[in-house]
Amino acid sequence: MSGVQVRVRVGREHYALPVTRVLEVAELGDLTPVPGSPPEIVGVHNLRGRVIPVLALATLLDLSDEEPERIVVVELDERCAGLAVDAVVDVGELPEASERVDSPYLTAAALADGLLVGMLDVDAILSSVSPEAPA
Amino acid sequence: MSASDEEIHELVRQEAGDCLQRMEANLLTLESGDGGVGEIEAILRDAHSVKGSSAMIGWGEAANLASSIEDRMEAAREQGGLPPDSVGPLLHAVDALGQALDGEPKRETVAKSPPPDAPTIRVPAAKVDRMLDVVGETVLYHRRLEHALGTVSGGGASEELDMGEQLLDELQDSVIQMRTLPLSTITAAFPRAVRDLASQEGKEVELAIDGAETQLDRVILDGISEAIVHLLRNAVAHGIEEAGEREAAGKPAAGRVELRAGRRGRMVAIQVADDGRGVSPELLERADEEGSLVEILAETGFSTAERVTDVAGRGVGLDAVKRHVEGLGGGLELRSEAGRGTEVTLLLPITLALMKVLLFERGGHPFGLPMASVGRVVAVAGTTSLGNRPSLELDGEVVPLSDLGRLIEAAGEPLPRNPPAIVIESLGRRAAVACDELLGEEEVVIKSLGAILAGMPGYLGAAILGDGRIALVLDPSFLLSKAATAATTMDRPAETEEHAAGRVLVVDDQFAARELQRSILEAAGYRVDVARDGREALRRVGEIVELDLVLTDVQMPEMDGFELLEAIRADEEHGSLPVVIVTSLGDEASRKRGAEAGADAYVVKEEFDQQTLLETIERLAGR
Repeated sequence: MSGVQVRVRVGREHYALPVTRVLEVAELGDLTPVPGSPPEIVGVHNLRGRVIPVLALATLLDLSDEEPERIVVVELDERCAGLAVDAVVDVGELPEASERVDSPYLTAAALADGLLVGMLDVDAILSSVSPEAPA
Repeated sequence: MSASDEEIHELVRQEAGDCLQRMEANLLTLESGDGGVGEIEAILRDAHSVKGSSAMIGWGEAANLASSIEDRMEAAREQGGLPPDSVGPLLHAVDALGQALDGEPKRETVAKSPPPDAPTIRVPAAKVDRMLDVVGETVLYHRRLEHALGTVSGGGASEELDMGEQLLDELQDSVIQMRTLPLSTITAAFPRAVRDLASQEGKEVELAIDGAETQLDRVILDGISEAIVHLLRNAVAHGIEEAGEREAAGKPAAGRVELRAGRRGRMVAIQVADDGRGVSPELLERADEEGSLVEILAETGFSTAERVTDVAGRGVGLDAVKRHVEGLGGGLELRSEAGRGTEVTLLLPITLALMKVLLFERGGHPFGLPMASVGRVVAVAGTTSLGNRPSLELDGEVVPLSDLGRLIEAAGEPLPRNPPAIVIESLGRRAAVACDELLGEEEVVIKSLGAILAGMPGYLGAAILGDGRIALVLDPSFLLSKAATAATTMDRPAETEEHAAGRVLVVDDQFAARELQRSILEAAGYRVDVARDGREALRRVGEIVELDLVLTDVQMPEMDGFELLEAIRADEEHGSLPVVIVTSLGDEASRKRGAEAGADAYVVKEEFDQQTLLETIERLAGR
């Protein structure tokens, strides 16, 4: 499983997702928090008139030291969301993802330039988030 | 270019759906005895066409069912008529055919049943919504461009910009219109529902539909069908009497239910009226005393039928209908005359895309509430507490008061001193929610929060404001129930000392402006009356004893502020009443006109400052 990957940085760690799954990359800008939404949703973003939720990859992956400035917009059927990342590092091919990982949001990891790059499971991320049932 | 299988299936299903609706209507006509060979042949044609298209794409079951209907109708054509008792089984066959066609999941589409002669294209609804998003955003960018250019150049560019704005408005209107469909897209099932219900009840009822061409937002149409069926059921089961009772009352044996639709101003009114027994005189009397019949019926789940049937009682479910309609920014009206009948009116906005909301801020973020649910705005000065919970006293009634931030569990700073509170009203329930600041009243495009957040309670959607910020539009019924159950809803706000101030009449046609001024003045201890235009104000001036000052806007319908001022000055009794003009007209000519007409003070809205206004008023109204 190879192909062109979009490499992003969150905190000190690197992750990647297939370029074919990325609709666009946008500035994070001012977010509007949605009180009562799940903790991984940091707010909603105005994407040229379309209101989309923004998911904190740092919260999902249990990372710290993140300073999100960009969103990577992804979609699964009707479910569209922006993934908050610190920066987009690179777009290109990665070595084969041969390392096993233990996270529901990653499929595997690849070793690139001496760094471990986690391969994001976009579908798992988008289907895992849903608002809690009314109290 | 070739259409996918799914697209072809969808097309066949839609065409067949139109055929089924016509078949059903024609069968009902035949049953009523009005029909003849014309109807039989029409059914035959439709059955034949469904059979053909189903067979072509390999839907065997549907094709067989259509074929059996075709056989039956061919026999009827040879006999020159259809025995009425065979209509029932044929309707069942049409139902079965519909179910067979529905075997696969459907996709939502716009324009389900176009007028037969106009050329039509079918477009997935999501594409239209996306278009609306982009148009809305283009309008915002255009305004920003206008603003940026306005500071560097004048003249020629502004004409071009104006033209662009007009075109964009037109574009937005036409996209919004693409979201609307005629009511007829949902009425097709009603004659059948009424027929089935009437026969189940052992009654004879005819349904007349008028105004089915009235256009409504497709999202409203999707949700409103159930409410209308509920009202029709109520009318048949509880409104229309048994034939014997009707004849004894001198009415025709067959009851009549009318479904009428039409524009009423910026709304659409859908009425379900019956000529049945109406509600009891006792209930009408109670309604006179307590205010509104619809509230009584909806609140108590009242039923006017003495026996309990498996069908909804007159009032049962009316609360659900009312909540649904109010959630859409509409309203419910009910009129009834004992012995003569009942008429229920659903008032609905033409489009859901555009909604009037009251915008305000809490914790640095903008929020909106549908204007339809906002009763008034007050400034929180004195609070009482009921069972250790803060509340306000409004018109002698205790209303729970909550901090909006606490209700929706938002992080935020403490409320300011004397915060404005919005009084939400629905179904006789009231609650006041306090916020930091009112932003004003605006007509906004309501957008979905997206599939991931769509199921979340508390929000109707979001609106994008002129500065690009997103305002969350809150669900009033969610706030009402939260306010009723939440334990601690607010820290005690700082109270101000009361001082005996005067009585002021605030005149403004804009709700938000009027309520804002009212809240400022009430917080300062004034007694405040309001009027919506000069004419109403002039009447109030004559009525209110001990009025100390009039605070008026200039641009208003009926009678503007200058005319009001002139009329007051010309009045012998009230000629010396202090009048303060609050207006957005800051130009020299307007100021001069105000001074000439005898204004005591002139406050320009852009320079609006609470403290200055209060000082001015205190100086003029001080006793």
